[in-house]
Amino acid sequence: MREFLYLSWQIVRRNWLVYSKDFWANISPTFTEPGFLLLALGAGLGPFVERVHGHSYLQFLAPGVAVSSAMFTAFFETSYGFYVRLTFEAIFKAMLTTPIGAREVVAGELMWVFLKGAMMTAGVSLVLACFGLFSFVAWLPVVPLIGGLVALPCGAIGLIASGTVRNINQFQAVYAFIISPLYFFSGIFFPVDAAPGWFQVFVNISPLYHGARLAQMAFWNEFHVVPALGHLAVLLGYAVVLIAVANRLVQRKLVL
Amino acid sequence: MSLVIAAQEVRKKFGEAEALRGVTLSVPKGECVGLLGPNGAGKSTLIGILYGFVQRTSGELQVFGLDPRTQSQAIKRRVGVVPQENALDDALTVGENMMLFARFVGLSKPRSLARVAELLAYMNLDHKKDALIHELSGGMKRRLAFVRALLADPECLILDEPTTGLDPAVRHLLWDKVAELRRAQKTILVSTHYMHEAEALCDRVVVMNHGGIVANDTPRALIRTHAPGFVGIFTATPALRARLEAAGSLAVTARGETLLARAATLDELVRLQNEIGVEAQQLRPANLEDVFLKITGEELGENA
Repeated sequence: MREFLYLSWQIVRRNWLVYSKDFWANISPTFTEPGFLLLALGAGLGPFVERVHGHSYLQFLAPGVAVSSAMFTAFFETSYGFYVRLTFEAIFKAMLTTPIGAREVVAGELMWVFLKGAMMTAGVSLVLACFGLFSFVAWLPVVPLIGGLVALPCGAIGLIASGTVRNINQFQAVYAFIISPLYFFSGIFFPVDAAPGWFQVFVNISPLYHGARLAQMAFWNEFHVVPALGHLAVLLGYAVVLIAVANRLVQRKLVL
Repeated sequence: MSLVIAAQEVRKKFGEAEALRGVTLSVPKGECVGLLGPNGAGKSTLIGILYGFVQRTSGELQVFGLDPRTQSQAIKRRVGVVPQENALDDALTVGENMMLFARFVGLSKPRSLARVAELLAYMNLDHKKDALIHELSGGMKRRLAFVRALLADPECLILDEPTTGLDPAVRHLLWDKVAELRRAQKTILVSTHYMHEAEALCDRVVVMNHGGIVANDTPRALIRTHAPGFVGIFTATPALRARLEAAGSLAVTARGETLLARAATLDELVRLQNEIGVEAQQLRPANLEDVFLKITGEELGENA
């Protein structure tokens, strides 16, 4: 087990080394996109919107936007990023000659995605907290953990896509038909309980919804234990199932 | 004698295509074995199966007494592999590539630093430590991929075409290193298309074709069995073949624009040359290339 963790961790080290070389270029979309979104929707559209659950629209929007950065960073890392490493850079061909095996590659990529998701969510939340969008700052340390838990299933979706697509262009379809709806219908732009019943069912499918709900509890200082545990369980359940599938598919790509 | 590689009837199918059709091979500790064969003969598939990169479809296989299907990690701790593709991390520098790999194979950080410095110097790459991979020439990249496999000082080395596509200087450098490793009692399996090097360096040569082993012996024995004697190379002209045969050549073979005439001794070959009154381009002892072309059937028109 120690060996497994050590070897998986080496993948994280490798990815971090590459990422940190272009740190500012790499991290900028993570901050600009949520920033522009909050500006356009929160400040631009917000004044036309009534208060949502007692919050201004900007306050309502903030937590969901923070965790959605984890979803995007995770998906892009394990789809385009991983696929390029796998096919064009062929780095695993050399890596797999060392004690690192396919399962360490999968575990390492997911550990990396967890940390990256946590890092992005933490960064965005920190900025939002500076703008007073956090009701009770003591909850701030919880937010990166939520980001990491959203990143895991989304990272696994990316790995599944990487294990399935026949060329890099096919990720566009995965993005259009899976990631986009999971994002837009995750209840981060509108309160789910006001939507029609069938729509609520749909929203509940999105892992981002459960992450966004947890983030909202943290941002608004409105924790309710039972629902919180429920959302946590859904996220973990998604992670377990999707990771198991991703593991099989990626192993098949790595070991001929 | 302890075996490092023991393969019995190893088969591999990719879908319907059979890449290996029952390979049986033993490599004892300390032996240097050359793996020859035309492109697509199954050399890389066999190599991949040895360290668990490719899963065999059937057959028995042990490397250091371990099964690569289930114990590849333990095998890879004792084997250094130079894959056919360099697979260097383009985003990183030479030094970073090596340091990262040193950690992959389990060296501590101080040990990694020392070992990387030592190996880069060994390959004359120390001045390139901070260069990015794309700034290196093809020869430098190959040298780097080569020393990368030596980081853990493995007992066994598996080299998949280590010198293909390199200029003669780099090729000689790398073969010198293989010779050094051989002297250091490492077990070596090296696939190559360079017959001359294989002949000079390998204790034993295994020739593969169409997914199977078609010859397996020392280079000398292979030459003795399959292409003994000497070879005269003549520019092909009409009716030359008939004249060579009439003059008593053991075998006449067409190879490109030339005709190769075989004789038992050099004297016999000189006599043959004088008799037909055509000077050969070259008279030389038969070599492994002659054996290779003959037994892989690449050379048609053999009439011996």
